[in-house]
Amino acid sequence: MRIASLSTEQSPPISIPFSFFAMAPLFLVLAALMLAMDGGNPFMNPHTPALLAATHCLTLGFMATVMFGAMQQILPVLVGSKMPASQQVAMVTLPTLLLGTLTLCSGFMLGSPPFLSLAWPLLGIAFIVFIVASLVSLVRASARNVTRTALILAVITLALGVTLGMFLAHGYAMGASIAFVDLANAHIRLSLSGWVMLLIIGVSYQVVPMFQLTPNYPKWLTAVLAPAIFIILLMSTLILFLDPYPYWLGIVTECLFWSLAGCFAVITLKLQWQRRRRVPDATLSFFRLGMISLLLAALFSLTQLLYPATVPDLRILSVLAFLLGFAMSVVHGMLYKIIPFLVWFHLFRGGMKSGVPNMKQIIPELWMRWHYRLQLGTLAATACVLFWNATVWAVILGLLLQGILLGTAVFTAIKVYRNNLERISR
Amino acid sequence: MGTAILLDVRGLPPPEPFINIMQALQSLPGGTPLLVKIHREPYPLYDALSEAGFTWQTSVQTDESFQIVILRAA
Repeated sequence: MRIASLSTEQSPPISIPFSFFAMAPLFLVLAALMLAMDGGNPFMNPHTPALLAATHCLTLGFMATVMFGAMQQILPVLVGSKMPASQQVAMVTLPTLLLGTLTLCSGFMLGSPPFLSLAWPLLGIAFIVFIVASLVSLVRASARNVTRTALILAVITLALGVTLGMFLAHGYAMGASIAFVDLANAHIRLSLSGWVMLLIIGVSYQVVPMFQLTPNYPKWLTAVLAPAIFIILLMSTLILFLDPYPYWLGIVTECLFWSLAGCFAVITLKLQWQRRRRVPDATLSFFRLGMISLLLAALFSLTQLLYPATVPDLRILSVLAFLLGFAMSVVHGMLYKIIPFLVWFHLFRGGMKSGVPNMKQIIPELWMRWHYRLQLGTLAATACVLFWNATVWAVILGLLLQGILLGTAVFTAIKVYRNNLERISR
Repeated sequence: MGTAILLDVRGLPPPEPFINIMQALQSLPGGTPLLVKIHREPYPLYDALSEAGFTWQTSVQTDESFQIVILRAA
């Protein structure tokens, strides 16, 4: 896909983030297809090939693709530092990430070592280039704010999580006898609780007050939250490899993590309640749904950790609430703010001084509201999936329709940009 | 130097601060500074100012908002 770009100095060309955003919805559709191919209820066993493949379609194919594109735009706006060689970084990371995700998911579905052997080096290249470029940008940044700190810590946890992921995929491919369960737990912790959580925290510090017109996050929270989560995650990951496993220390570190995560969710919800303009907004709804999901994920995990004999499936529900409820809702919400803003910004900066479409006209608000309802329905079905097999089909349908709707929204925004660009050229 | 023109865009959602500042700059007389009060440091604005031939100086205020003094470059 090629999108003509107007040049701006600090921001990367619009074609860079949009190339990533245009590909990401495809992986929501693929995740749905992989779950459908299982034929039964893949959620009953977290190690089923279909669930492993669908999870990586969501985390790598959808979320990482969006985040790779968004970081190119977020860094100049939030910390005043462009990603170095942004076009070259995109040219390397986009194809390797997409191809790596496709081969990894095919490897899981087919149980095929050659696919897995191809996947981990491709994904390794994508992530190493992205991590190095992001770190260079963050180190060079003129801003010395809490967002920069949280993003640096997020990128470090990503580097650790990805290293373990590559090691795991290589181990699966080679049939090596490695501690798969401990390594997989460490990989999930660093990638989701580390990278995803810290990235969302760092970005929220600025995006929530800026776009949702709320008061700022309290200083006592922003000063300690990201470093505390980072230290706790490192501790809880390191002790996984101790023999004998220090059971109580494990419980304490996990409880601390979920308490901090729950605290972040409650404070964000409180800030949103105090917002200055009470105008309905799809991004706000997605963010709010994300924070409620994070709070539920924290409550489920804390209950399971402190009262292990209660409901056995609470940990799985917690992971589902975190991944599908928190991370996916926030990513959707962020996309629906970033995409119209980018179109508007590049048209305005590109010389279009009058007739620039209003940000609210770029993607119809009605579509975003329908997408929000679809996400709500998908989550409701996911909450039932462990107790009622038939709801798997509702989850599959929900993901499929979300992929189609988001894809249509992205291409509509690209069309609006192109049409206006042609108008300027005439 | 002329008396500064004050523009307060604190609390406005994006992209309103950017639009208001760029509109104010279009009619800014030479030698008159534009004093902008804003709640976030507007990094994307700096590129636009540089391209349009303005100089600027940013300072952080005690309430953590920012004050930017913008002048047309000589």
